[in-house]
Amino acid sequence: MFETYNPIDDKLYKVIDNAGKVVLKGWNNPLTDKELIQAYRDMLYERTADTMAVNFQRQGRMGTYPPNLGQEAIHIASAKVIAKDDWVVPAFRELGVYLAAGASLMEIFWYYKGNENASKFAGAPHLLPISVPIATQLLHASGLGFSLKYKKEKGVVFAYVGDGGTSEGDFHEALNFAAVWQAPVIFIIQNNQYAISMPVRQQTRSINMAVKGIAYGIPSVKADGNDFLAMYDVLSYAKKQASAGNGPFLVEALTFRRGAHTTSDDPTRYRTKEEENTWLTGDPLNRFKSFLNKKGLLKTLDDKSLEEEYKLKITKEFEAAEAAPEYKPDEVFATMFEQMPDELKRQKHAYESYLAGKERQK
Amino acid sequence: MKYLFKFPDIGEGLTEGKIFKWYVEKGQDVKAGDPLVEMETDKVVADIPSPKSGTVIKTYGNIGDTVQVGSVIIELEIAGVDGEAAQAVAQEKPAGKTEHQVEEKNFGVVGTIESAGEGAYLPSSNEGLQSMPETGAPAPRKVLSTPVARAMAKDRGLDINQIKGTGPAGRVTKKDVEQHRGAGAIFAASHKAPLPDFHPTTLIEAVPLTQMRKTIAKNMLLSKQSTAHMSVMDEVEVGELVALRDKYKAKYAEQGIKLSYLPFIIRAAILSLKLHPVLNAELDMENEQIVYKKYYNIGIAVDTPEGLIVPVIKHAESKSVIELANELADLSARAQERKLTLEELRTGSFTITSYGSIGGYFGVPVINYPQVAILGIGRLSEKPIVRDGQIVIGKMLPISMSVDHRIVDGAEVARFMNDFLGFLKDPLTMFLE
Repeated sequence: MFETYNPIDDKLYKVIDNAGKVVLKGWNNPLTDKELIQAYRDMLYERTADTMAVNFQRQGRMGTYPPNLGQEAIHIASAKVIAKDDWVVPAFRELGVYLAAGASLMEIFWYYKGNENASKFAGAPHLLPISVPIATQLLHASGLGFSLKYKKEKGVVFAYVGDGGTSEGDFHEALNFAAVWQAPVIFIIQNNQYAISMPVRQQTRSINMAVKGIAYGIPSVKADGNDFLAMYDVLSYAKKQASAGNGPFLVEALTFRRGAHTTSDDPTRYRTKEEENTWLTGDPLNRFKSFLNKKGLLKTLDDKSLEEEYKLKITKEFEAAEAAPEYKPDEVFATMFEQMPDELKRQKHAYESYLAGKERQK
Repeated sequence: MKYLFKFPDIGEGLTEGKIFKWYVEKGQDVKAGDPLVEMETDKVVADIPSPKSGTVIKTYGNIGDTVQVGSVIIELEIAGVDGEAAQAVAQEKPAGKTEHQVEEKNFGVVGTIESAGEGAYLPSSNEGLQSMPETGAPAPRKVLSTPVARAMAKDRGLDINQIKGTGPAGRVTKKDVEQHRGAGAIFAASHKAPLPDFHPTTLIEAVPLTQMRKTIAKNMLLSKQSTAHMSVMDEVEVGELVALRDKYKAKYAEQGIKLSYLPFIIRAAILSLKLHPVLNAELDMENEQIVYKKYYNIGIAVDTPEGLIVPVIKHAESKSVIELANELADLSARAQERKLTLEELRTGSFTITSYGSIGGYFGVPVINYPQVAILGIGRLSEKPIVRDGQIVIGKMLPISMSVDHRIVDGAEVARFMNDFLGFLKDPLTMFLE
């Protein structure tokens, strides 16, 4: 099915255009109407939660947060493909994927309020913690994939990284390892055009990100990351391949980070309004909505009232995170070693005096 | 119920922000999540949304005002049930819970060197342990030592707990006991000196440094470590300057201009710098050259509640005494309000500190590195002096100056001082030059 999408030809797998019209010849819709509507609802839920997260952060109620705006198609398509036996190895900009893997929104908020305990993701035994050090998680993914194969266990690994992460050594080691051992790992590069402020054209001389997989002998496809249907097709295919024992697969999901890198970043300093507007026309939610409207599937769905319903639900999750215990300063020191070394005790001691002084200063 | 909303740190370690735009005004109803104000910060320009639904009672600050993180920016009246009220109060002091996290019983354990029996942990190096006494952690309860060292210490009547161990994990060795003895009683006594106790409830207070204090500390140390400081001091009779200033003070006061001595001093300094350009230069060790500056950007030390700020008068050589007076007033007023731009603090070529307005005759000012000289002006006072064989009352101005002796020789400073004092003594020459 993807044989004609050799990354060396820089061909993009795309099902619908910006107006929601099917442009791929011979495409057969793999999903039921009910599934399509649910996917749209999930994308809208992710976007509402994400927008509210930024808003909460700006109110001073949450720590630094990386917005997902504009990348929801990749997440919800993944969510649709990931099954109970599969493993999810996140970077840090895959909100919809975490929710699909069983994390609660409360835990996500709790995490971004600075509580490491939230990463335990009680309801998601196959979801690894959010990984801030760029691309390090891919090595875990390859190891995990190898272990599944070695132990003859079911499931495949979905591993995420950004365009900037492809410049890290870890990315290349992970790809090589997974390929050599034919580990069932699906590498998903969310190419959102920027590594913080570094544009992708300065990130690599490769014609695209997918060719990097070819170098390691991994079947790779460049797909439209703002096209839910394209992402669903390519990820289902990748999963089928990996499950069948055909080793790893790499997907470049071409997208655009519409928001800031994190809430501490100001994209107006390094990109233009024109560039942002160009991508706005291809916004994944709008595109998918147009497609569904053409099929007449959204007649009974009212975005506004749906959003209101979601907002109430999301607020409840956030309030639960606010009511949850705070991370205790001693936990920062306590969890690394079974027996705390003296140097760490000294640091803990100094930090406690610092906090006490800060407290009195108020 | 009244709800005070404080400007949050929206970007990992911000200390302040500037009001860009208000979206709401007094009396307006807002919904939770609605934007209140647009703030410009070091990191981002962002809308700050309201955490609560309610009515605006008061907004704090106008467009362009700088707001400190943690200060109240808006006051809302929120229709409150009790639960909501409690929550709002809790919000105001989010860090309040951390205060009592230090448990007393654990505290004694912190910093204690474990005896060999208590645990198998040995660090690969003893670096951390050696540095421990300096941190002020409580003294060790029982030290590690080799049996022979323990016996030796006992034989010699030494307290093994007072001997600094250099072995693995701070273990006291035979050599340590021998050397301890050799160092004598004074060394031992210094070890017995009470160490500060950092227990949070005792009579000391650990106050985190402000960003500004960190910067000042860093710059001062950098200057002292990077230059060869040398200072000279002298005083000058400035009766004529006092008379000149007194003559015009009232006239300019009517125009709202405060004519102090400082603009005259700046002018005298610039004229002297022109005669001795090395004091308005910079040492470039990397390229092994002296960089002479053809501009005279004079930094003026300003005392503010948060600490020392040094705004710069750019191209002071092209400004009249009155222009200098105006700029001084403006810069020091804005320094007090911390409204100076970064640009106004940069590119100084020479600095003047007039600490005498607060007090003190002479001092050893610290050079504003990478500049090479700083001029300190002491307190003007009347003193008996000898003139033409008579004791008369002189109006004496004490001058102190520090230079970087690496590029400024003592003779050159003395020559600079002679010219500088000459201008102050006979101020009209400043205007003839």
